[in-house]
Amino acid sequence: MTKFGRHDDKSLMDLLVEASIKALEDAHAERARIDSVYVATMLAGELTHQTCVANALTDQLGLLPASAQRIENGTASGSSAIINAYQAVASGVCDTVLVTGGEKMRHAPAAEITDWISTMTHPTAEYIHGVTLPSLAAMFTRLYMERYGVTREHLAKVAVKNHENALKNPYAHIHQKITVEGIYKSPESEINNPVISDPIRLYDCCPVTDGAASTVLCSAEMAKKMSAKAIKIGGVGNATDPLAVCERKDPIVLNALKEAAARAFKMADLKPQDIDLAELHDAFEILEFAESEDAGFFEKGTAHEALENGVTSLTGEFPINPSGGLKARGHPVGATGVAQVVELTWQLRGEAGERQVRRARRGFCCNFAGFANNVSAIILEGE
Amino acid sequence: MSEKQLVGTKCNSCGKIMYPKRVVCSNCRARDLADIQIGDEGKLLTYTSLYATPEGIDQMPLVLGIVEFDNGVRVTGQIEDREVKIGDRLLPIWGLLRKGKGGKEVYGFKFKLSVGNE
Repeated sequence: MTKFGRHDDKSLMDLLVEASIKALEDAHAERARIDSVYVATMLAGELTHQTCVANALTDQLGLLPASAQRIENGTASGSSAIINAYQAVASGVCDTVLVTGGEKMRHAPAAEITDWISTMTHPTAEYIHGVTLPSLAAMFTRLYMERYGVTREHLAKVAVKNHENALKNPYAHIHQKITVEGIYKSPESEINNPVISDPIRLYDCCPVTDGAASTVLCSAEMAKKMSAKAIKIGGVGNATDPLAVCERKDPIVLNALKEAAARAFKMADLKPQDIDLAELHDAFEILEFAESEDAGFFEKGTAHEALENGVTSLTGEFPINPSGGLKARGHPVGATGVAQVVELTWQLRGEAGERQVRRARRGFCCNFAGFANNVSAIILEGE
Repeated sequence: MSEKQLVGTKCNSCGKIMYPKRVVCSNCRARDLADIQIGDEGKLLTYTSLYATPEGIDQMPLVLGIVEFDNGVRVTGQIEDREVKIGDRLLPIWGLLRKGKGGKEVYGFKFKLSVGNE
């Protein structure tokens, strides 16, 4: 993957090419036949004025006449591309495929980005009312606080943990040590950490990021020929929930995630307790709690206690977001789902450097489109 | 404007009431559906004061909430009052929601506190 951050001097295509070349080199696939290229991006046309990016990338990489397609599935485009690529290989249609996700966003005005991201919401029941993703996260957070006793301090601690992890990740967007005092307890925190959508503040939200991530998927047979370091995709799942959040049976239960995770666990024939670490979609810090509960790692309403007890820290029993997560690695929307798989791959190979999780044998990741309207779950297994 | 009513869809097959409106029942997939008025008043389930408001919204902050009607149907919308709390009773009212693309005014239902609140 590329460094995540601000890339004024690079185009979206530059980022996609850079990440792809790294992935092909890593897989020793520079000369291998690539049957298909899957490119994940949500806003290529809207923010960078380029469409049909998949064949453009395939051409740039010298992979013609490989099949090529772009996957747009909102902020879950990356994981959707991986799942589509997985199905292509699992079905036997393809032997080796390249999946690259990327987004270039930071050059655009904040209002324009917010507006495009908001178009993932229900057009008449949410968007026209001024609903944005942070406002949905805020209403979700308020209910979570009311029902389970989660506090602003708990949310601040998720941000502190994920920033701390990102300091050890050279690819992360945000390299900034923060403290609970600095963003929550002190008088200065009122200025440092302004309200975005009450009770959510700036440090409860992920940043806007440029970047790309890439990985090569192939059959087990091809993996033996190409690279000794291949990691197995144990299971994948994707599922959906009502577009309008108000229509969900319980607005703070992530049903699409529950279903996607159940499908991935069933395919892998594993249980949540078999997983050693997770990369979760913490676009808003409350989601790290909710996802870890609804995916089955903790009882509903108890993930904040696990955080308090250090369970989810880098050296804890079940580290969450060792990469820094969306909060601090950053969230170039089309790249995120691929970046999660890249991070788990490094972790399971023991190549994650200073942020290496001990005994990392099996990893789980989940990636959201909209406010959990469409969720993918992926389980990776090492040796 | 007084004839405007907040409407959803009722499935004539399984009886489910849905908002926003649909053409296929989200419960039983029947297509025999009819418009139905959602209700006169509901209670506030959750809310937020949004400071990072989108373009075309003049209020700052914009108060948004999810209102649950007595029949269980929930509606997300703007709330005219600044000071609200979970459980408050709210009434739907017709009004200007925002300016859309090209400055076009978008109207719809929003909410205000019911006089019945403490």
